[in-house]
Amino acid sequence: MVPSSLIENLNERLTQALNQLQGARNVQELYDVKVAFAGKNGFLSEMMREMGKLPKEQKPVFGKEVNRVKTQFEQKYEAREAELRQQELAEKVQRERIDVSLPGPKVISGSKHPIYLVMDEVLSILSRLGYAVRTGPQIEKDWYNFEALNIPPDHPSRDMQDTFYIDDHHVLRTHTSPVQIHALLADKPPLRVVAPGAVFRCDSDISHSPNFHQIEGLLVDHKVSMADLRGTVSYLARELFGSSVKVRFRPSFFPFTEPSAEFDCTCPVCGGKGCSMCKQSGWIEIGGSGLVNPRVFEAVKMDPKVWQGFAFGFGVERMAIIKYGIDDIRLFYENDVRFLKQFDL
Amino acid sequence: MKISFKWLNDHIDLSDYKSRPGELAQLLTASGLEVENIEDPGEAFKHVVVGQIMKLEKHPNADRLTVCQVDAGEGSLRQIVCGAKNHKQGDKVVVTLPGAVLPGNFAIKKSKIRDVESLGMLASESELGLKKESEGIMILPPDAPVGEPFARYYGLDDVTFEINVTPNRADCLSHLGVARELATLLDRPLKTKKPEVKVSSGLSTKQTIGLEVKDEKLCSRYAGRLVRSVKVGPSPEWLKRRLETVGLNSINNVVDVTNFIMVDRGQPLHAFDLKTLAGPKIIVAPAEANEKFKTLDGTDIVLKGDELTIRDAEKAVCIAGVIGGVNSGVTEATTDLFIESAHFAMDSVRRTSRRHGLQTDSAYRFSRGTDESGVVDALEHAVSLIQQVAGGEVAADWWDLRAPVVEREPIRVSTEFVGQKLGLKVDPEDLKKWLHRLNCQVEVLEKGVFSVRPPAYRVDLEQDVDFVEEYGRLNGYNHIPENLPVVGGEPLAHDKQYLFEQRMAELARISGMLQCVNYGFLSGQYQEETLGSAEAYKAAGLDMDSKPVRIKNALSSDLDTMRVSLVPGLLKNLLHNVRHGSEFGRFFEIGQIFGHGDDGYEQKPRMGVVAWGLRRDLWTQPKSQSQIFFDLKGRVQLMLDKLLIQAVQWKEWVNPPSLLHPAQAAILVCEGRPVGYVATIHPQWSVAQKIRVPVAVGELDLVALGRGQPRSVKFKPVSKFPAVERDLALVLPKDIRAQDVAVEIKKAGGALLQSIEVFDVFEGGEIPESHRSVAYRMVFQDSAGTLTDDQMAKLHQHIVSSVSKKFPLKVR
Repeated sequence: MVPSSLIENLNERLTQALNQLQGARNVQELYDVKVAFAGKNGFLSEMMREMGKLPKEQKPVFGKEVNRVKTQFEQKYEAREAELRQQELAEKVQRERIDVSLPGPKVISGSKHPIYLVMDEVLSILSRLGYAVRTGPQIEKDWYNFEALNIPPDHPSRDMQDTFYIDDHHVLRTHTSPVQIHALLADKPPLRVVAPGAVFRCDSDISHSPNFHQIEGLLVDHKVSMADLRGTVSYLARELFGSSVKVRFRPSFFPFTEPSAEFDCTCPVCGGKGCSMCKQSGWIEIGGSGLVNPRVFEAVKMDPKVWQGFAFGFGVERMAIIKYGIDDIRLFYENDVRFLKQFDL
Repeated sequence: MKISFKWLNDHIDLSDYKSRPGELAQLLTASGLEVENIEDPGEAFKHVVVGQIMKLEKHPNADRLTVCQVDAGEGSLRQIVCGAKNHKQGDKVVVTLPGAVLPGNFAIKKSKIRDVESLGMLASESELGLKKESEGIMILPPDAPVGEPFARYYGLDDVTFEINVTPNRADCLSHLGVARELATLLDRPLKTKKPEVKVSSGLSTKQTIGLEVKDEKLCSRYAGRLVRSVKVGPSPEWLKRRLETVGLNSINNVVDVTNFIMVDRGQPLHAFDLKTLAGPKIIVAPAEANEKFKTLDGTDIVLKGDELTIRDAEKAVCIAGVIGGVNSGVTEATTDLFIESAHFAMDSVRRTSRRHGLQTDSAYRFSRGTDESGVVDALEHAVSLIQQVAGGEVAADWWDLRAPVVEREPIRVSTEFVGQKLGLKVDPEDLKKWLHRLNCQVEVLEKGVFSVRPPAYRVDLEQDVDFVEEYGRLNGYNHIPENLPVVGGEPLAHDKQYLFEQRMAELARISGMLQCVNYGFLSGQYQEETLGSAEAYKAAGLDMDSKPVRIKNALSSDLDTMRVSLVPGLLKNLLHNVRHGSEFGRFFEIGQIFGHGDDGYEQKPRMGVVAWGLRRDLWTQPKSQSQIFFDLKGRVQLMLDKLLIQAVQWKEWVNPPSLLHPAQAAILVCEGRPVGYVATIHPQWSVAQKIRVPVAVGELDLVALGRGQPRSVKFKPVSKFPAVERDLALVLPKDIRAQDVAVEIKKAGGALLQSIEVFDVFEGGEIPESHRSVAYRMVFQDSAGTLTDDQMAKLHQHIVSSVSKKFPLKVR
């Protein structure tokens, strides 16, 4: 028989070790217990050495006992280790708590200038109707800017546009209409073109900028009527400002169209009830339009008996003012970050 | 142009519109005479009436106040407490009733003043806004009718319309003209009034002074008549007030009559002091070259020689249709007049008036076209009125030299054409009705087709389409239906350059920049000073006109020159923003720059970029101020990558323009061609502008960049085998460019080297003086198999030995 004291001691030390395992506060302490109990120079190794001193027949019995204790210890150790690692991880992630209210690295995006926002929107609407973009020079020959558009030299209609002159034959284009002439000369009718771009007039105050932008549409076909024109500008206004917007025509005068009409739309701000944007009238002036004057066709050597057309145009800044409620035209050209950032869409 | 409602009634009966001038304005606007504003001075005097103080007592509780019982024409007396001292019982006064709002938003209410009820106020002239200061209340003459609205009594009840007359409607630049338009619209007759003239049979115009018109083209009709022994003096009140209503100052009775007739009938007139004219005749002829002339208002001008003038035997006495001379004008001493009524050519008057900056009411009307047929009528009205207001004897005869009248061809107007153009169904009878109302002579050619002769004053009606507009506007543009047209044929393609500019704008936005728009012109001096030598930009592939295009009639020296670069504008934007507290910005602009070219002038599309300020935040700390250069370069590089531009080189710019930092400037070379630059701004610019934040600028030539765009993506198969990353840190002398070494590494790495980039640059510490460490990150990949360690070791060795042969370097 193995001396019971030995077995008892073994059990006692096991209980003690298991308690120590349970009491270990971290993996290191746990490991220390393991080294002391099951390490090379630990208790169990000591027991194995003790076993050598036992009589031969007792050895297997005691050995079995030691193994049992070892297994028990190891099971407990592993369970406890897993437990402690879990605990440590839980503590670690707790220590990694961040202030989620802090900002992330700033990703800075670019923006479109409101003039281009409006211009691109109009171009995309007109593109759907088959209009193709055309451009022209901003320093324009007098002939394109005026004469071909039925504005002869020393004619009172020149007074409608305060013109910047470069020399006797060149001006800064006062409107996008000369692009009509370029298109009529370059493209084969029937045609639909749209000309966006900068135009210039020597006029400067709160509501006038000497450099501003226009968009102009031109359609040429065999039979073209004011009804076609009205349908087109109405569609454009509805797409731009909303489906409930209505368009009205007012008689006006442009030398290159006959008949001529200015077109207004119901104020998109108040829906036509009257507000400060529309000066209580319920209507907002949008632009000018009309049927291409036969004299324009004659100027580009097209037969006005064969070809008819309409043209319409408007100021881009004005559209942006209406659409975004911008209150001073000068803001467009100051390029203040605080202004531009608002169009970071 | 101002049109008075009362005045209109001289020509057409509009009494039914008296209380609703707004409706008249709407009618005019809807037919093409846009009424921009209605001025109704009477509005300000609502609830203000003429009254009489029937009883005046002292206020029981205040020594300085009186209690008046006032008859305001209401049937019973009204008690009003008044603080003035200048009134007495029986006085006619101005009574403001509760509800009145006087100038300065002063609302009159029923009140109690020291326990005595006051039902209104007796007003002073200053309270009524008639004078700046006044003492006491306004006392009216004894004949002022009690109960009459004050505005009517005081003549302030005339409504004026501010009408924007388009250049084609010269016929509407007068009260007669607007009345004619209303007669058409309302289908009412015009009042006709034959002027009364008491003729002195012994006095002859033609025998007193001769007349010769030397240029019938510029003066197709000239009429004139003598009026003798007039008394020049102030105009009667009614005439003064009429002129005031339409914004004209009263000068003297004779001049006022000429102005009155001009505003009344649209025919400008001129009155000469006959005694100042050197006989024997008046000559209508061009000026002499370099002829000096002093205008009525004292401006000295030198005539070129092609301006039409009215001359006596010695000199020019008037610039025809524009302004008279001080040498022949009517003064207080004038007794004998020669009154001119003529027709001058539009273009000639306009040219003369613009050339000499003489923008007169007369020139305005002549240059838009006057009614040649009404010349003598106007003269008749003028002499009649002069006789009425200044007395005098009117000559029995008058001059009327007229070039042969060219009969205008009738215009063929078909109902079908009018209907087709308007997109309406038109009834021929309706069309005919409106043509008649327009005073056209209409002849029926066939069913629905008319031969139309417009009245002489409608010089704008020249083609069939003009009648399309006439019918359209008179019938009402609101009758035009809406139809979305379908057009045959294949739609055209968008302009390529425009599409490319749009694409560039998109790429710039993707790279984090805000879009700016600047004027095409700016101060030439600022531009030149900012940019430095235009020649220097050639190296970067940017053509810049060294003598920029200038504007002849610039608004100011701030806006006198066309831009040759987008950078000066962007720098201005930067300064604006920094000065308003925005210390960080990334801007771009796409626009045209201008220069002289083969065909006169040319414009080129450019993209300008500017970056200022380095972000310093929780996550980012800039390494050095020069990072601004790389920040901007990085954004430009991103755009180039997206354009699929392959061979991109950033070359050091030796001797860049003075705007740029001489050691931090790079020329961008794309596929062998310089297309622009990116550079740090020269520190001296920052010092001069007091800017502390680092600034970088750049400009790109969008024609060069746009070549072959848009490019399409060529798909490359993705390797199935893993990529291997290797770092290589080299210690190099500082003057060796990182990119040059990278090129060698690439060569040595061959096809297996997929990419190489610098990920660290380090100086100081263990690195020898004037050297730096540059660390490259290389990515290798083989499409045929996994790269082995052995393969990689050999490749690495090969790369190191290759670059070592080229450059004096050490591997760290």
